[in-house]
Amino acid sequence: MNIEEFLREAAGKPGVTGMELPAAEFIADAFRPYVDEVHITPLASVVARRKGKGPKVMLSAHLDEIGMMVSKIEEDGCLRMQSVGGVDPRVLPGMRVRVYGKKLLMGVVGATPPHLLSAKDRQSNYNFQDTLFVDLGMPAEKVRKVVSVGDKVCFENRFTELKNGRISMKTADDRACVAIMLKAAELLKDMKCDADVYFVASCQEEIGCIGAWTTGYEVDPDYAVVLDVCHAHTPGASPARTHEITDLVATKGPFIHPFLRKKLDEVAKEQNIKIQKAIATRGTGTDTDRLSIVRGGVPCVLLELPLKYMHTNVETFDMHALTEGARLLAHYLRAIDDTWEEQLWN
Amino acid sequence: MELNKLCELNGAPGDEGAVRNAIMAAASKVCDDVRIDKAGNVIAFKKGVKKSGRKHIILNAHMDEVAFISVGATEDGMIRIQPVGGIDPRVCVSKHVTVGEEKVKGVIGAMAIHLQSAADRQRVLDFDNLYVDIGAQSKDEALGAAPEGTYIYFDSKYEKFGDGCVVSKALDDRVGCYVMLKLLQESTQNDVTYAFVVKEEIGCRGARAAAFNTKADAVLVLEGTTAGDMGNVPEVSQVCRLGKGVAVSFMDNGSIVTRKLYKSVIDIAEKNGCHYQIKEAATGGNDASAYQATADAKATCVLSVPCRYIHGPSSVVKLSDVEDQLTLARHVVNSL
Amino acid sequence: MLLETLKTLLSVYGPTGNETQVAEAVKKIVAGKVDNAKVDVMGNLIIEKKGQEGGKKIMFSAHMDHIGMVVTAIEKDGFLRVTNVGGLGTKMTDTRHVVFGNGVHGVAVCQPTKDTPGMAQMFIDIGAEDKEDAEKRVSVGDVCVFANDTVMLGSNRVAAPAMDDRCACALLAELLIQVQNPRNTIVAVFSTQEEVGMRGARPAAYAVNPDIGIGVDVTGWGDTPEVKYPDIKLGKGAGIKFMDRSMISTPWVRDALIAVAEKGKIPYQREVLPYGGTDGAAIQQTRGGIPSCTISIPCRYVHSACEVIDMRDMDSALEIMKGFVNAEL
Repeated sequence: MNIEEFLREAAGKPGVTGMELPAAEFIADAFRPYVDEVHITPLASVVARRKGKGPKVMLSAHLDEIGMMVSKIEEDGCLRMQSVGGVDPRVLPGMRVRVYGKKLLMGVVGATPPHLLSAKDRQSNYNFQDTLFVDLGMPAEKVRKVVSVGDKVCFENRFTELKNGRISMKTADDRACVAIMLKAAELLKDMKCDADVYFVASCQEEIGCIGAWTTGYEVDPDYAVVLDVCHAHTPGASPARTHEITDLVATKGPFIHPFLRKKLDEVAKEQNIKIQKAIATRGTGTDTDRLSIVRGGVPCVLLELPLKYMHTNVETFDMHALTEGARLLAHYLRAIDDTWEEQLWN
Repeated sequence: MELNKLCELNGAPGDEGAVRNAIMAAASKVCDDVRIDKAGNVIAFKKGVKKSGRKHIILNAHMDEVAFISVGATEDGMIRIQPVGGIDPRVCVSKHVTVGEEKVKGVIGAMAIHLQSAADRQRVLDFDNLYVDIGAQSKDEALGAAPEGTYIYFDSKYEKFGDGCVVSKALDDRVGCYVMLKLLQESTQNDVTYAFVVKEEIGCRGARAAAFNTKADAVLVLEGTTAGDMGNVPEVSQVCRLGKGVAVSFMDNGSIVTRKLYKSVIDIAEKNGCHYQIKEAATGGNDASAYQATADAKATCVLSVPCRYIHGPSSVVKLSDVEDQLTLARHVVNSL
Repeated sequence: MLLETLKTLLSVYGPTGNETQVAEAVKKIVAGKVDNAKVDVMGNLIIEKKGQEGGKKIMFSAHMDHIGMVVTAIEKDGFLRVTNVGGLGTKMTDTRHVVFGNGVHGVAVCQPTKDTPGMAQMFIDIGAEDKEDAEKRVSVGDVCVFANDTVMLGSNRVAAPAMDDRCACALLAELLIQVQNPRNTIVAVFSTQEEVGMRGARPAAYAVNPDIGIGVDVTGWGDTPEVKYPDIKLGKGAGIKFMDRSMISTPWVRDALIAVAEKGKIPYQREVLPYGGTDGAAIQQTRGGIPSCTISIPCRYVHSACEVIDMRDMDSALEIMKGFVNAEL
């Protein structure tokens, strides 16, 4: 399996939160060679099961992506947008977006020209409702024939390789972590693993982890490993809230099960994989937060891939960290056995 | 030479080499005399076919485009940048760029929305807070790829879209260069000097040199200018509109169009049924100011292609307006 | 008739957490027309109308509760101190006529302050001489709502408090009355406590466990001076929700509703709302995930004492619902 190819193709499949089916179908197909059964849930999570006699383990990395929705078509034919998930409007002016109307259209995000802004407004960023819009290069009557209110709008899709194995792309949050699962599934083909593994590419994470919540209910796992992105060092950001881009991050805190977390350290040490530490005093902002209270409660552990410029079209990560993540995950799954249950609260 | 090829060339003020070489190659095949002057402008001359009473007209377009220049790097390998020419810092976040002659790929990244305070969300990141990330891990690695003074460009594809529109960087003023190269292929009634000039974006510096060295009866400046006709902008504030033809200026911040020439141009446009509009604003500035301010001054007129989101990675023009600029310029150089 | 049912339901007292009277009124309206009706522990009224073999089970949810104010303390001089139950602010409440469950009338007043006033500056004047006199009529914990004042504005529009969400209750009641032997099973949930976070619909959806969930609720407007967003107008048809702050509608359910509207030439609007939430979200997140959407009634001045809707939008919502319960899903 070529991770880059997978990511490059996956980024082209629209999976805006709540409307993930095209992305889900692609990801379901990608898992098929490595697992025993695959299905898509009613809300469009992908569940890929590698059967085992041991404990039932759910992995969760979300497949949805932030994006926009057409909220109004103005009289001159420009489209107003509403954010789906947390889109930073600062990244939009000049971006070439994809508008999924009756056909796929390329549009340019324009903004009210500076000469029409007050001096004060020129000193502040553009916003969705008043100043940003999509220009389709067509008159209003033509626009209305192909685009309707409610159509989804995706970020510009450009996969860029930077120096030192860094990749810059849209939807690295969180398809880079879906790729970690996929690569781990491939590694497990040649490994002995007792666990009954459910690889879940969950939907609707960006608006409240609804996919992990509902799919967790359906799968009803004994343990869960959540994979998501965290922030890598970025200019302007407090170093206390960001990490080195080169290595994985594992969080400790009340939402993370201490035994599962301890085991992660053990496996990482055994495999000589470096992990950075993070602390979350309450919620982690990931699928962990809801998955851990599904049904009677699910012990969770969280593994994170550092990412620069999260929620943009140039999300940047280090391929080395990604492949190490897959290796760590595969070995972690291999280590899970029936003895874990009695050790959970020891 | 086609417009897409011209736009995809990089040519910041002071770094117009690639554009200049391409224009030289195209021009030298078809004109009587072509040279590069001391300022770096390409000056091509083509004699008119009219037997007598030929006038001398200068057509002017600028080769340069707005871009960035590297001014250093941070310890962790981020390249610091400043704009060369007027770029609104608000269009820079999350854009793809190429660095230097090697065209090393990079992105202009900024702090994720999750890490921003309410004030951060409002605050415009200025060029002291915008960085190019090429994946470098150290200051040395960054400076190795981009020593101070390296030019950095929007990595922006030329794409057709919508109703005969195109989106690209550098449309200001490669449209003018394109139209002049087209006219160069033709024979004209009057003598024409084609001035492809440098450094318009940092104060019309190339045009000054071109103006000093050439006498002429009239100067036509071919430009791209701001169109604000999208986004429910009030009609009176739109300046000009895509698809309504080439925009003829009566004045701008740099020059008042020579009245007699303006009238002649409008007459010619009307007589030949040219598709044109009047630019409904007196803003902006261009090389016409240099032709009026240099040596003995020349009569100038400005013909512009309306351009949305000018000076960004995704400016938009309508191709029919470019053709309209060509048509009107052709009629003027033939009938003046 | 729809308008009569609406007027009946608008007249009933039923703030969030005290919806019993509304449930009784609904039961009376649909009596004899449904298969079974029960009230669960949260006070939700759950009414079923069985569909045909092979049909789907569709849960509709319209909330009975109405925003109000609860008495937190009684001043010595007989004025009542209150806090809000649901999304109610001082601006909409100042000098409004309110009524308690036992019929006691009062006037809500917000004292002028230098700072932006909060609920702490609100009091209710029930005409009491002093605390003792007040306590004869009202106790701490009693809840008041805007007094009913239903009026027609022109020939199509109705203004009233409690329009959110009694107009949807009226639609559900009429659906139950008007549809005979539907293809799909209708489970109509008249839910409680929506205004404090869909607390009724959530357990109801778990118990009902439907194949499809449909919230029925009011939405915002963008057709008054200075308000041009969201792109929703009164009288242009019911809204079919694409998204709001609580939910992205499941695409195929949304498209199935649109298909019903298109096929029946029923006017509808595509609703993209930057705020708000409905019971549809609660259903969608239930168990393993239930495909859900919301049918909306455009409503001006939501959460005020004069919420305005257009009966033509009500008609279109009812037609879409009737079409949907008979559609092959």
